[in-house]
Amino acid sequence: MSAAPAEVKLPETDDDQAADRPWIVIVWNDPINLMSYVVLVFQKLFGYNRAKATELMLDVHHKGRAVVSSGTREKAELDVFRLHEHGLWATMRQD
Amino acid sequence: MFGRNRPKPRVLPQGAGYALKLDERERALIRQILGDMRALLMLDADDLRVRRLYPAAYADDAEKEDEYRRLTHEELRSARLANVDTVEASIDAEVLTEEQLTAWMQAINSLRLVLGTLLDISDDDQELAFDPDDPEARTQALYGYLGGLLDEIVDAQLEAL
Repeated sequence: MSAAPAEVKLPETDDDQAADRPWIVIVWNDPINLMSYVVLVFQKLFGYNRAKATELMLDVHHKGRAVVSSGTREKAELDVFRLHEHGLWATMRQD
Repeated sequence: MFGRNRPKPRVLPQGAGYALKLDERERALIRQILGDMRALLMLDADDLRVRRLYPAAYADDAEKEDEYRRLTHEELRSARLANVDTVEASIDAEVLTEEQLTAWMQAINSLRLVLGTLLDISDDDQELAFDPDDPEARTQALYGYLGGLLDEIVDAQLEAL
C-alpha cells in the first residue's frame, strides 16, 4: 500500500528534488484504541469510505502500521495533529 | 485494538442527533469522573500518566519535534478541556447533537487512553481478568465500562455516516 505518487529516479545530489518529496503520515498500532473507533476516525478525518478505512485499520492492526495520508509537510502536520487530537499514535516523515 | 458488542445500544442515531439512553447511575458516574479528567489534562505533557495523550509527530527529528510540541500541546490540552466542558453541559441530555456526541467520544477516549496506560494494557485482544480484590479493580472496571460505552458511541456514528 502506498499513498505516495510514483517517484522518478534522479541523482542523489539534487537537493531541490529532495525538498519536494512528499511527507507521509503513519499510524501505529496500539493496544488501547478500539478497532471501530479507528475506522470512524479515518472516515471522518480523511473522507475515506468504510472499505478503505477498514482496510487501513486492519493494516495498522496486523502489520503494526499504515500510511494513511501524504502531501506537503504542512498538510501532513495538520493530519498528524488531528490524529493526535483523536488519540491515535501518528508520526510523519519524508518519503 | 479490539472490538466489543452489546445487544442493546445506549446510543442511537435519532433525527439529526443521537439518543442517549443512560440511566441515572451512569450519568452520576460520568459526572464524577469529569473532575478526574480535568486534573489529568492539567498535568504537564511530559508527565508519564498523560504522555500517551501527546505523541511525537517527528520520531527522528528533535528540532522539528520541539517546534511541533510548541505549536500543538496547548491546543491539544485546551481542545480536550473543552470536550470535558461539553460533556458536563450535556450530562443530563437525552438527545445529543453530532458535535456533543463527538465531544463525549473524545473525552471518553482520552480517559481510556490514560487508564489503559496506567493498567499497562499491552496485548491486543486481551480480556481483562477481573479480580475484585485487586487494588486496580476500580480502574479496571472503569476502563471496561468506558470501552463499552465508547464502542456504542462509535457504532452509532458509523451507522449514521
